[in-house]
Amino acid sequence: MSLGSQQVSANINSFNTLNTCNSFNACNVSSGGIVNFNTETDAEGRQILQWLSPLGPQQRHQDVRIDRLDGVGNWVLETIEFREWSNKEDGSVEPVLFCSGDPGVGKTYLR
Amino acid sequence: MIDSLCDQAGGKDIAVVGLYCDFHAHREQSTASMLGAILKQLVSREGIPEHIREAFQKTKKEFSVLGLRLPDLVEILKKAIASLQRVFICIDALDESAAKHRRGLLQALRDIVRASPNVRVFLTGRPYIDDEIVRCFNGAVRIPVSPTENDIRGYLEMRLDCDPDPMAMDNDLRADIMRIIPEKVSEM
Repeated sequence: MSLGSQQVSANINSFNTLNTCNSFNACNVSSGGIVNFNTETDAEGRQILQWLSPLGPQQRHQDVRIDRLDGVGNWVLETIEFREWSNKEDGSVEPVLFCSGDPGVGKTYLR
Repeated sequence: MIDSLCDQAGGKDIAVVGLYCDFHAHREQSTASMLGAILKQLVSREGIPEHIREAFQKTKKEFSVLGLRLPDLVEILKKAIASLQRVFICIDALDESAAKHRRGLLQALRDIVRASPNVRVFLTGRPYIDDEIVRCFNGAVRIPVSPTENDIRGYLEMRLDCDPDPMAMDNDLRADIMRIIPEKVSEM
């Protein structure tokens, strides 16, 4: 039995569209960062945030963390490049890290 | 990525902010609105600084609907970043942003990175924008991403477990799928 490459690539592409499945582990809500977004309580504060930008990336982030499959792509976090970039606080490290890859390989879903 | 960095940051004075570019949002995702979204996340942590409030009240008095000018936005971002110990800016699918807005965004980021030694930028995108990134950040570190055989196996298992029609599956077919697809993919 062999599979055509078209079928295989269809399978890879579906990496992008991981759908709801009850077996996903629930993600912890971590402190800080993107989830704390829009917590400004006063009316003017909310207006200012809206004025700064109408974009709300937090919704997309919630969707991604819900759909993410644990463990997939974690090797990126183990690379020396990532570790140096995230750990070293001095100016000795290049500040920009870029993960490049074709659509559907799982870049968005890196944990 | 955002969640890993958040975990690593713990309760420390470290901000992790993110942005997802989208082909379908070219109109909304201008350079200014993308930078504004980053700023918004930074300032909503600790409360909005007085100078941003003042800028907002000024435009309101002038009956202006305009947001901040791009150079002002970049300066305010630098200030917000300088008030924190470390800042991670994660931008996903940079290739999906409109080319002219992407150029503006990368230039602004370059400006910010030069002025802020405590900032780290994480970008993802298709390989065809490698050159654009390197043009702005000539030392940028690139990690090519492709799924490992283990990634594929994990993903396949999850999909098979979610099969809406499990009666159509038998152990032999499942074993074939688990053997052949990861092999084929790793040959690609």
